[in-house]
Amino acid sequence: MQVQVGSRILGVSEMPDVKMLNVTKTFDKGRIVAVDHVDLFVHDKEYLTLLGPSGCGKTTTLRMVAGLVEPDEGEIYIGEGRVSGLPPEDRDIGYVFQQYALFPHMDVWDNVTYGPLVKGWNEKKSEGIGREMLELVRLYERTDAFPRELSGGMQQRIALARALAAGAKLLLLDEPLGALDAKIRNELRYELRKLVKDLELTAIHVTHDQGEAMAISDRIAVMRKGKILQVGTPQELYMKPQHLFVAHFIGESNFLEGYVSKVTKKETVIELRGGLMVRTLDKTHKEDDKVVIAVRPEVLTIEKGKKEGVNSLFGQVEKFRFEGTNTRCEIRFENGDSAVVVRPALMTEWLDVGEKVTVSFPVEKSFVFPYPKRGLREELTLE
Amino acid sequence: MNKGIHGIDRKKLIAKIAVFATLASLFIFVFLPSFFLISFTFTKWPDVYTEVFANPFIGDTNWIEIQKHLALSLRLAFFAVMLDLLFGIPLAYLLARKKFWGKGFLEDLITFTLVIPTSGFGFATVLTWTTTSGLGYLIGRGIVDIDFLIPLINVPFMMLIVHIALTFPYIVRTLQAKLEDLEPVFEQASRTLGAFPLTTFRKIVFPLTLPAIFSGGVLAFARSLGETGATMVVSSIYTTAPIAVIRWVSQFKFGSASFLGCLLIVVASAVILPVEFVLQKRGGPTFRFFSIRRIEKKILKTEKFVSRRLSRIKDVISLIFILLIVILPIIIVLNSVALSWSHDPDTGRVEGSVLYQLFGPSNYFASLLKATMVSFASAFVATYVATCIAIPTVFLIERHRLGRFIRSMLRIPLIVPTSALGLSILLLWGPGGLKLVNPGVWLIVLTHIVFSVPVVVEPIIATFEGSEIPMFEGAARTLGATPYNTMETISLPLLKRGILTGFILSFTRSLGETGATFLVMGSDVTIPPLVVNMVEALAIPAALFASTYLIALSFVLLLVFRMVTKR
Ligand SMILES: Nc1ncnc2c1ncn2[C@@H]1O[C@H](COP(=O)(O)OP(=O)(O)OP(=O)(O)O)[C@@H](O)[C@H]1O
Ligand SMILES: [Mg+2]
Repeated sequence: MQVQVGSRILGVSEMPDVKMLNVTKTFDKGRIVAVDHVDLFVHDKEYLTLLGPSGCGKTTTLRMVAGLVEPDEGEIYIGEGRVSGLPPEDRDIGYVFQQYALFPHMDVWDNVTYGPLVKGWNEKKSEGIGREMLELVRLYERTDAFPRELSGGMQQRIALARALAAGAKLLLLDEPLGALDAKIRNELRYELRKLVKDLELTAIHVTHDQGEAMAISDRIAVMRKGKILQVGTPQELYMKPQHLFVAHFIGESNFLEGYVSKVTKKETVIELRGGLMVRTLDKTHKEDDKVVIAVRPEVLTIEKGKKEGVNSLFGQVEKFRFEGTNTRCEIRFENGDSAVVVRPALMTEWLDVGEKVTVSFPVEKSFVFPYPKRGLREELTLE
Repeated sequence: MNKGIHGIDRKKLIAKIAVFATLASLFIFVFLPSFFLISFTFTKWPDVYTEVFANPFIGDTNWIEIQKHLALSLRLAFFAVMLDLLFGIPLAYLLARKKFWGKGFLEDLITFTLVIPTSGFGFATVLTWTTTSGLGYLIGRGIVDIDFLIPLINVPFMMLIVHIALTFPYIVRTLQAKLEDLEPVFEQASRTLGAFPLTTFRKIVFPLTLPAIFSGGVLAFARSLGETGATMVVSSIYTTAPIAVIRWVSQFKFGSASFLGCLLIVVASAVILPVEFVLQKRGGPTFRFFSIRRIEKKILKTEKFVSRRLSRIKDVISLIFILLIVILPIIIVLNSVALSWSHDPDTGRVEGSVLYQLFGPSNYFASLLKATMVSFASAFVATYVATCIAIPTVFLIERHRLGRFIRSMLRIPLIVPTSALGLSILLLWGPGGLKLVNPGVWLIVLTHIVFSVPVVVEPIIATFEGSEIPMFEGAARTLGATPYNTMETISLPLLKRGILTGFILSFTRSLGETGATFLVMGSDVTIPPLVVNMVEALAIPAALFASTYLIALSFVLLLVFRMVTKR
């Protein structure tokens, strides 16, 4: 039902792709590189999320698409048209600001119909669309309220309705749920996605919350320090991280340092510190390469006592915590390395600190990355 | 135990005494002089009535004069504020939202006209517009005559120009501060929703900053209504209300002078206080604009055109405006001083040179030196005393239940035109009243304290409210500091910047004050009246030198001001 409503009003026919080619933006006379040679392609009617730690350039990227910031280098296309130099009012976008930016001196109705008004649409059309957008976010009965009289969640929905009412085909959302408390945030994510899908919009959503990104997106672009490291569906990023940082940032990983000791047709053998050997199916490294092997805590299994086997590492329990659904166990291996094991609580034996255990993982369930030039710890910091 | 209770009692007593002393000094030094003129006029009403309305020889001529002068002052203030808004708003927007080369210089220039003693600046402006030493150089005669009356609005051109130059900084500075506080995100939101820059300004920025525009306008209006120094220099045949007050006092027409002074106070209050009251309401008022759909489309079209085609022009116009009314007069004064340093540039005569007038028989240099001493001494003492009253007053305003009331009351000395104030002081402490103090430095000091206290109080309050002092004080108390310790180690150091800013602002204001000083100075002439006297005595080279001297002085003050206010 809502699909038809939205489509009719917006006259949705052709949706834009967004293309960013080699886009760079610096601040402070080049001292701060906020966005560093980014290429990004957003498909028609796609829900894409820009995910990354604080200060990595997500907002700047979004603002360049909106025309609020002009790139130093590179080109941006919305649909067929190149938008470089075009002011925001000519780009036909909807932008939802993190703090909503609802006009404090206007009531809900005037806020929502602001776009139609300044675009000079006729009164009937403006009122129609204002009404329908407010019904869509279920706030039609609050038209006379001023923004400060509304709860955070309501303000968020008004901000969304306002952006949609301006007839935008491309919706840009900068941490739209960031200012809400956890429970409302979780509810609104699904609502937000449903709305975008119902109205057949293209959306670029910025967040630093990986849970939100995983739940809401068709694809996620992971950013760090102004660069996009990997773009993919949530599953792809989880299953096949192509970058150490992605393995770290999407889900959780244990990292073990080592050298490639042998490469055969079937597998690669890696020697960890202290001479421990593990096997992987990795094909990308040569003998003697320094590497980091990443294993997700939830693929590790744990047994009491010392057991021999493929990819079995012997160690001692250092911490053991019950975390509701899961248990979280920190193990220190013989060679001094450590790893975290997460298991469903109902399926785990209770372990005591100091207990001797064997931890193992299947050969196909690990990722191998070249050892980062500037060191593992630096590579994984969020700044 | 007993001792503890005793201790508390004593502390309470001391606190009470401190509150009482602050209130008493506020009353004696600030409020009493502000209101005295009104009560004087009432108590002497029969005499005043006879002089103003029923003079046995001239009938109600004085009353007609009063109406004329007051009307001119109001017209002048009104049109000055309107033009301030016209040029000031784009300028404030430019300064608050854009970064560009020379921005700091532009801001300094705007502050400059706030700190410069106005009589010197008035002279520079006259020179610029009415003589061949100024803009007239280009066409071989003055651009306008000094008595040129702008048709339709009936405001003397020179007065309007000078008043705009001296009052537009109030609009620019207040609005700029407000805009810098206002997140640009609202403007950005408006743009992403499809509004052109000018539409965004009309629908978002303007309504959100209207309180600041109003309060800047109020300050500008008050300043224009009371301005005397520059106005006297450019007045030629016209008389504004403050000038009339001064002239009548010198002719011992106290009845007319005090009646006109009263009217000035009443008119200023009637215009300004309602606006202040609306603005002071919690959270500020919400202005809603009803847009008329039918013309809305036309407006939008125009705004689109202007936003697209003419966006740069308004910035350029603002800059030309500054160039014409601030920079040019300064340059022309400096240039003229250089040209006529040793001989008159036109006739070549030595008698028309700066040097001759300074050190020759009229010996203006000695007068200038003496005036400088008087100016600095009185400005320093007045500001010092005012600061001593202002600091406890700020605590009173923030902590005492009378606080809000005191704060509103402190607006009044700021809007009372200074010539009315001077008359009030003269009639209160001086020979016309209690005969406690004779005209001279000490009466100047008493006069300047009146407006200096509110000038010092404002920045201290701003610092107080911006620095979370109560929180830090609370922290200090939990760490075991006594209230006195807390004051000395926490509050005063945190307030230092505010106190310094207030001190400098008050000092410069005191140094440049003309209207009141004229009435109370006796033979202790300060610099600004001296410049007026030079112009009236047609000692132009001397006036040139004095103006240059004032410009240099303001420049130094500006540097000090910058050092204090910038982090
Ligand atoms: N207008 C600006 N002037 C100077 N530096 C800026 C400006 N805007 C952003 N930066 C800098 O650019 C970098 C990227 O900022 P950006 O806001 O895009 O990050 P972000 O990923 O959105 O971070 P967050 O999650 O904290 O919002 C930061 O180092 C920031 O300090
Ligand atoms: Mg951001």
